[in-house]
Amino acid sequence: MKWSKLWSWLWIVLGGLYFILPLVATFEFSLRAKKDQLSFLAYQRLFADPQFFQTFLFSVLMGLLTIVISILLIVPTAYWIRLKLPKVRVVVEFISMLPFVIPAIVLVFGMIRVFSGPPFYLTDTYTGNTVLLVGGYVVLALPYTYRAIDTGLSAIDVRSLTEAAQSLGAGWGTILFKIIFPNLRVAILSGSFLTFAIVMGEFTLASFLVGIKAFGPYMSLIGQNKTYESSSLAIISFALTWAAIWVMQLLNRGQSERQLTGGR
Amino acid sequence: MRQKPVYKLMIVLVLVAMLMAACAPKTTTTGGDEDPLVAAAKAEGQLTVIALPHDWCNYGEAIEVFKAKYGLTVNELNPDAGSGDEIEAIKANKESKGPQAPDVIDVGYGFGPQLIEEGLVMPYKVSTWDSIPADTKNADGYWYGDYYGVMAFEVNSDIVTNVPQDWADLLKPEYKGQVALAGDPRVSAQAQMSVYGAALASGGTLDDVTAGLEFFKQLNDVGNFVPLVAKQATVAKGETPIIMRWDYNALADKAALAGNPNIEVVIPKTGVIAGVYIQAISAYAPHPNAAKLWMEFLYSDEGQLLWLKGGCHPIRYNDMADRNAIPADLADALPAAELYANTVFPSIDQINAAKALIAEKWMETVGADVK
Amino acid sequence: MSNKPLPGLTPTENTKRDAPQARPAKSVVSKWLGVLPFFLFIFIFVVLPSISLFIGSFQDSKGNFTFKNLVDLVKPEYANAYWVTIRISLVTAVAGGILGFMMAYAVTLGGLPRWVRSILSTFSGVASNFAGVPLAFAFVATLGRTGMVTVILKALGVNLYDSGFSLYSFWGLSLTYMYFQFPLMVLIITPALDGLRKEWREAAENLGANSFQYWTKVALPILMPSILGCMVLLFGNSFGAYATALSLTGGFINLITVVIGSQIKGDVLHNVNLGYAMAFGMVLVMSLTMVIYYFLRRRSERWLRQ
Repeated sequence: MKWSKLWSWLWIVLGGLYFILPLVATFEFSLRAKKDQLSFLAYQRLFADPQFFQTFLFSVLMGLLTIVISILLIVPTAYWIRLKLPKVRVVVEFISMLPFVIPAIVLVFGMIRVFSGPPFYLTDTYTGNTVLLVGGYVVLALPYTYRAIDTGLSAIDVRSLTEAAQSLGAGWGTILFKIIFPNLRVAILSGSFLTFAIVMGEFTLASFLVGIKAFGPYMSLIGQNKTYESSSLAIISFALTWAAIWVMQLLNRGQSERQLTGGR
Repeated sequence: MRQKPVYKLMIVLVLVAMLMAACAPKTTTTGGDEDPLVAAAKAEGQLTVIALPHDWCNYGEAIEVFKAKYGLTVNELNPDAGSGDEIEAIKANKESKGPQAPDVIDVGYGFGPQLIEEGLVMPYKVSTWDSIPADTKNADGYWYGDYYGVMAFEVNSDIVTNVPQDWADLLKPEYKGQVALAGDPRVSAQAQMSVYGAALASGGTLDDVTAGLEFFKQLNDVGNFVPLVAKQATVAKGETPIIMRWDYNALADKAALAGNPNIEVVIPKTGVIAGVYIQAISAYAPHPNAAKLWMEFLYSDEGQLLWLKGGCHPIRYNDMADRNAIPADLADALPAAELYANTVFPSIDQINAAKALIAEKWMETVGADVK
Repeated sequence: MSNKPLPGLTPTENTKRDAPQARPAKSVVSKWLGVLPFFLFIFIFVVLPSISLFIGSFQDSKGNFTFKNLVDLVKPEYANAYWVTIRISLVTAVAGGILGFMMAYAVTLGGLPRWVRSILSTFSGVASNFAGVPLAFAFVATLGRTGMVTVILKALGVNLYDSGFSLYSFWGLSLTYMYFQFPLMVLIITPALDGLRKEWREAAENLGANSFQYWTKVALPILMPSILGCMVLLFGNSFGAYATALSLTGGFINLITVVIGSQIKGDVLHNVNLGYAMAFGMVLVMSLTMVIYYFLRRRSERWLRQ
């Protein structure tokens, strides 16, 4: 027992070092805004910029929207496929990998072309562009969210749960929202974290659809011109994304992190 | 069940998001006792620009001054875009009148003919048209030069005490692991022009840029070349203390870093190559009057001086100098005029041929031989 | 109360073992209704915008039909670009998969306190998308010539760069890629590890198996399909990466994403159609990877069907 704990700690420490060192290096550099001394000047300058908060909030909202739509789209689909259409699973898995190989720049220009004209006319307003942006983000997050949900589904017995629920008279809605979703809690959370991080850092789609209103293009703008601010921005965005994800975890406190059908 | 509060929160957040997104900025209109172009532009209310980093020729200030002067909203798309991106953005937005369709573009000199050939731009001659040198503009007004700079060295003089003065100096062993380009030569014009400049200094000609590729191969062989894409941050960190950049970008970096660390901008003794950029109005611009107003602003003395403030040589520099329209302090902030005496301006065909050759041959000449 | 099925039942995917439906078969239409929203979304947001990609691969700049772009793909410099990208994706998928798996194991089954798991999953969520320019700079600041770790090691007498190491190489780029690869693995494999029942371990030990046997004969076979799926995800993640590679080794390491970028968005007169064809080539490579994955996964699921 002791030995296996040691083994676990070893891997955590190794991984932890790997994580932390680049962040420490970036942080150390960000403190050098004043010559030859350590100071938080870069951070002060950043917080004094109203655009920082505006763009951050904008992307946070985009992230939340993307998460909600992704989950609502993918969980029922993945569940349904496992239950009724196992042969289609192959196709859907392949589709879920496509966003990796379609360059974001092709996607954004393709989307603008498709949605500019009839019947959509989505690109004529700021709102329309935002809708496109969220749709694009759902696509970009698809490989991760699908894989997370699929892995989660593989760990529970979908068929037995469904049959048990149906024999008790539950309809599809009840099964989905009261049984499947809660059992996929950890997987959904993982998918949400990934989606959120993707949206916060995403650059190409945002830069051509909304320009510097989003956080990714804003980070790029700062990164080109301001050395120390860009390092401090990297640290801050890391910290704020962490905080947002932590809040997401908190919202699910109360329920244990185990699934209802097993685990430890 | 406990999930419900979470879902409720999510729905509230979604609604808030939609509310925020639906709030489009308001436009301002004023009375009709002003220039019709200004009135028409104000009626349109917004201008969409692309690929304008704030520190590139001081575009940041130019945009702010424009916004304050005319009360228009400016949508800034992708400040990181290359010329290719800008052209693709126009093409993709042909049918759209929305705020993501660029109105105006600022692209490399070599792209002029393509813009006309593919019908991407509309002609417009600003009121100061005649003072733009003839060989930097299209006679019919489809595109026109806006500013130029020359390829310079940006050196972190806190780390590099013996600052190189010419291309050949870069090969010296004292600069081991210190020299880098500011872009990928397959993608970035700035990097390609660096190779072009090296070519001119190493026995090449405007028509044959192979010597430049050989120079970088040698730079890599002696271990001086760092294959990192350098930026202000890497220069300041000391990872790439010597980089090749447009002089205006180097000057902007020097100003931004303000001595932390000290930056020296060196115009090389030989191989001084100029890069001209051109402005154009998109043929599909959703806000053509705002676009024209922007051009009038940029080509007025006020606009040209804003570019000069950013270290760029505005295209009407000679005309303004003749009329003593340039404040002494701005002129002094630039490197001395003698250093620019040997500047070489390649033609459009020469530029495009050189860039094509560099993009094609870079990997096999200089690239890592990864097995 | 919770519906814990009896221990001993295998809950993992087992499509062949599915019992026939207890109810009369519903019509085909209602069967497909469940997946309609998804396919509709994909059609509108993925297929339609990508059509220009596929059509463009077969056109030249004037719009005429041609195979030239695809033929150009087998030129040595492009074929080499594919190969280098595949290599780095394989390396980081396997290495990231292993490291991620060990860390996920450590926090789920390794007996560590709950707060470690919580921190790890949050951190993984953020780190898995820490890529592009900030990540490149972070590694430059750590392992570059003037990087923090390099300097510390120099003080301890170890000169990294003299001994041949360089961040600006294939291995340096791999090391940087790993930063977002293994958190991804951690996040996605954790639910699968959660699904490993304690009862199975107990049952195995009761039958006399030691730890090694438990892992090789029980746990890993159950987990293998998920592990493979995650590694394919890591492969794809790395295969499509662009910004990090461009920042860190732009112009030096021949990656296909950077080559595509240069064709589609570069500052030289570009050949967009060739870029489309190359992206199409990436789709083909990804498809091939998926085929290999399915083959491996069916083999790994075979034991469940006895």
